[in-house]
Amino acid sequence: MRKMRLFVLTASLFALSISWSQAQIRPPVMSLITEGTTLTVYWDDVVGADGYRIYYAPFPQADPVAFESYGPDVTNVFIEAFDGAAFYAAVAAVKGDEVSAFSNIDFFILSPVDPADAQATESEVIANVAQTVIASNYAELERRAGALLNTVLSLNFETTDEHLLAAQQAWRRARRAWEQTEAFLFGPVDTEGLDPALDSWPVNRVDLEAVLASDNALTEGFVANLEDTLKGFHTIEFLLFGFGNTKVAADLAPREKEYLIAVTQNLQTATKTLADAWRPGEGSFLNELVNAGTTSTIYPSTTAALQELVEGLGIIADEVGNGKISDPFSETNPELVESQFSFNSIMDFSDNMRGIENVYIGRYLKNDGPGLSDLVRRVNPQLDETIRKAITTAIAEIEGIPYPFRDSISTPDGRAQIEVATNAVADLQLLIEGELLNLLVNP
Amino acid sequence: MKSYLLLLLLVGGALISVVVGLTAGLPTESDAPELTISQFGTVISADWTAVAGATGYWLYYAPYPELDPVRRLDMGPQFSLSGVFGELDSYAIAVRAYDGDGVGVGEISSIAVAEIEPARSGGETTVFTQTSNSFSTPAPNLSEAGLFRHLDGDTDFGNIFVTAPAPVNPGLGPVYNHSSCEGCHPKDGRDAAPADGEQMDTMFLRLSLPGVDPSTGGPVPVPGFGTQLFTKAVFGSVAEAGVTVRYREETVVLRNGTVVSLRTPSHEIDPYIDLPEDVLLSPRIGPPVFGRGLLEAIPEETILAMADEDDLDGDGISGRPNYVWDPEEGRTRLGRFGLKANAPSLRIQTAAAFHGDIGVTSPVFTQESSTGQIQDDGKGDDPEIGEEILGDTTFYIQTLAVPARRNVDSREVQRGQLVFAQAGCTGCHVPVLKTGDSSVEGVANQVIRPYTDMLLHDMGEGLADGRPDFLATGREWRTPPLWGIGLTKVVNGHTSFLHDGRARNLLEAIIWHGGEAEKSRRHVENLSKTDLDALLAFLNSL
Repeated sequence: MRKMRLFVLTASLFALSISWSQAQIRPPVMSLITEGTTLTVYWDDVVGADGYRIYYAPFPQADPVAFESYGPDVTNVFIEAFDGAAFYAAVAAVKGDEVSAFSNIDFFILSPVDPADAQATESEVIANVAQTVIASNYAELERRAGALLNTVLSLNFETTDEHLLAAQQAWRRARRAWEQTEAFLFGPVDTEGLDPALDSWPVNRVDLEAVLASDNALTEGFVANLEDTLKGFHTIEFLLFGFGNTKVAADLAPREKEYLIAVTQNLQTATKTLADAWRPGEGSFLNELVNAGTTSTIYPSTTAALQELVEGLGIIADEVGNGKISDPFSETNPELVESQFSFNSIMDFSDNMRGIENVYIGRYLKNDGPGLSDLVRRVNPQLDETIRKAITTAIAEIEGIPYPFRDSISTPDGRAQIEVATNAVADLQLLIEGELLNLLVNP
Repeated sequence: MKSYLLLLLLVGGALISVVVGLTAGLPTESDAPELTISQFGTVISADWTAVAGATGYWLYYAPYPELDPVRRLDMGPQFSLSGVFGELDSYAIAVRAYDGDGVGVGEISSIAVAEIEPARSGGETTVFTQTSNSFSTPAPNLSEAGLFRHLDGDTDFGNIFVTAPAPVNPGLGPVYNHSSCEGCHPKDGRDAAPADGEQMDTMFLRLSLPGVDPSTGGPVPVPGFGTQLFTKAVFGSVAEAGVTVRYREETVVLRNGTVVSLRTPSHEIDPYIDLPEDVLLSPRIGPPVFGRGLLEAIPEETILAMADEDDLDGDGISGRPNYVWDPEEGRTRLGRFGLKANAPSLRIQTAAAFHGDIGVTSPVFTQESSTGQIQDDGKGDDPEIGEEILGDTTFYIQTLAVPARRNVDSREVQRGQLVFAQAGCTGCHVPVLKTGDSSVEGVANQVIRPYTDMLLHDMGEGLADGRPDFLATGREWRTPPLWGIGLTKVVNGHTSFLHDGRARNLLEAIIWHGGEAEKSRRHVENLSKTDLDALLAFLNSL
């Protein structure tokens, strides 16, 4: 973990950044997480980058701009700052003398953790996780799916590599939000069939080609009636990145662009359904969790709701360790790798871990409140430390796998690190399904 | 502190050691003793509170669910009775006070059902969870090797098939009802019914012509359709039909004033070629799949012993076994699985589901479901899954845990358990069975509480599908197990029940019962609000 003090500012300006078209290397996609007066900046691997820069500038005047340089293996920086720290941040990839455009630019304002969090009741923790983590994550997913749709429409207006890159970046951003929601795959995402609609794998490539070759009008309504393996993240990924992440704008056939619009509209609709199902109001699933043990028709006790949350964390840890990573690894078969077209697999896995962290700590991006951690710490502070460390270790070891994952399963270095990462995830799963579950559910 | 006097009583032919507490219970305000049942290992204790003016207590007990004969023990001034229970024993117990003249004082206590570990519905395969994962947890008594195989099968169960050729999961269709197992058995649970005017998506219609197929003794396939209506096809192929579901509502008012609205489904079919006029149709919704390994391990003689084909005991219930074709063994066997018990084993059931529902051929069913029809893809890639996937998927189904009951000590739930027996529901929904030997890990010799007799019963005209399936007539269905039914909402987000999901809650499902269950339904229709609520609380505790 790297630490950086935010008081060295040098004079340069965001406005002087390199424009899209000049750079040959793509910018990363950045996320900011704040928890009290600490900040985590993380981004995705960029093909060919030999380093990264985090740019920062005071908020709100954005002047002066400074940056801090990192090596190619760093995609995750933890910063201890101070109460009231307020900055913009962005990340760029570096390759030799070349610096990419900025990633998305975001800002943060830090303030200490509310001391009341440490005393939160089970109900308060559940309510915060439901609202601040789950509902916010789905709302963010919906926003990012909307942004993806905008880029896809732009790509259709003007089919350039620049617009294709923007759409690919938007796909990665939406994907990050989705993968973090996989730490809580219960409720409407499951009962309304939205998980398969959004994230079916594999892509039915035979049928996709047949659909593209047909003379059907490629409307959202037409796509809605197709199999889930012809829509969702991976179909969009296939169309945007191509097999082997080799797509260029010139490859995009008119029918592909039409299909891309329809299928992205369909994705955006599904994310809206999902976010709506968790918005406060009559019949919202949010109420079922928030009112666990009182008026909930699903969770008769806070224990039942906590069990749902903890099992959700165990399920995704299991899925990553024993499915997503180990299936292609044990068979050395890149065809089994999820998100293989975009080379986003490692980010998929680490975002699943971040989803666990979000629920455990009770925060999502820049909002935080009480989480499972607060219930654990007051009974067994040692266990709380152990779990937090297991999560960060799992993230670090996963991000330590050489990029891209579909190649690493076949190289000695790659396989060695994949084993280390798998063990770290297994350790975390054991803690979740053992000590954490016992402490919160079967004391 | 209590002191105990050990007595030995011969009750109902079984030797029961009885421990009687000698010290006084605490007097209560109420004029009925408050009865508490507790369990320590195989010893079950009944304790009760004192009633003012009482000099002694009678303990009434009766075997559950028969509730006959009712016997009475004179406990004298004692407040406790303990006995060693056998694993299948179950007794309804109540206590009443009497005075110096031997005349009853006050009311009888609440009636409790005493049994060993009533919450363990699946014996040692039981899991104690009440979340959305209640149906999809591996049996906790699996070995490490067994768990790994189960997890492999879990992956297969979730795998989504696509059109061949493909590097991952090829073989979908060409015609099918869904692309994965999990699509119709979400979270290993129950699928929801389409709303009024909606198309069938995951549920489907079985179909056949009148008569019996001479080669199997089963239903006669419809030319151009087979025995299952495929509402989906890979792109470029032709689905056999679109089916729209519509409902007609009727209202029933129970004696206690509760209004129940029953919806009768009908199906508008838009077939790709004409269906024969005499086609027989039967809708199916995906049922839960957990605990099936235990049902498979129930000895055949146990099931046959529950059969009463000619209703010789005169209770109006005449369960009978189905005998069905086993395509691998090439012979007729006892049917256990499927809503009409038309599959002899989980292996055949699983292979049939891959074959029919997904269009995936296997070593059991090597020919495409569309063979001989215009959709036949003629790809020659059969079987599309091998022994490993079929075996692992079957093993997965065989070794899914059964969720434990909740609230078994609640007075209301215990009362409901009694009402369930009084209404005669236990005549088919048999509470306790014991599995026999099995080659499948973890399921042998388990005491289970599935609430089924695995037999066919005439369920009356209202639920009749009019489509015979081997020996099952058009009015018969196999008793579905009820374990886990109270968790349907948390697992699947709905409470629709019965073969086509027409019932929107448990009460509607009960009121749909007819035929052999006519008497039981009438009993429920005449229950007080308290007893009806108790019955539903009991069902929701399963």
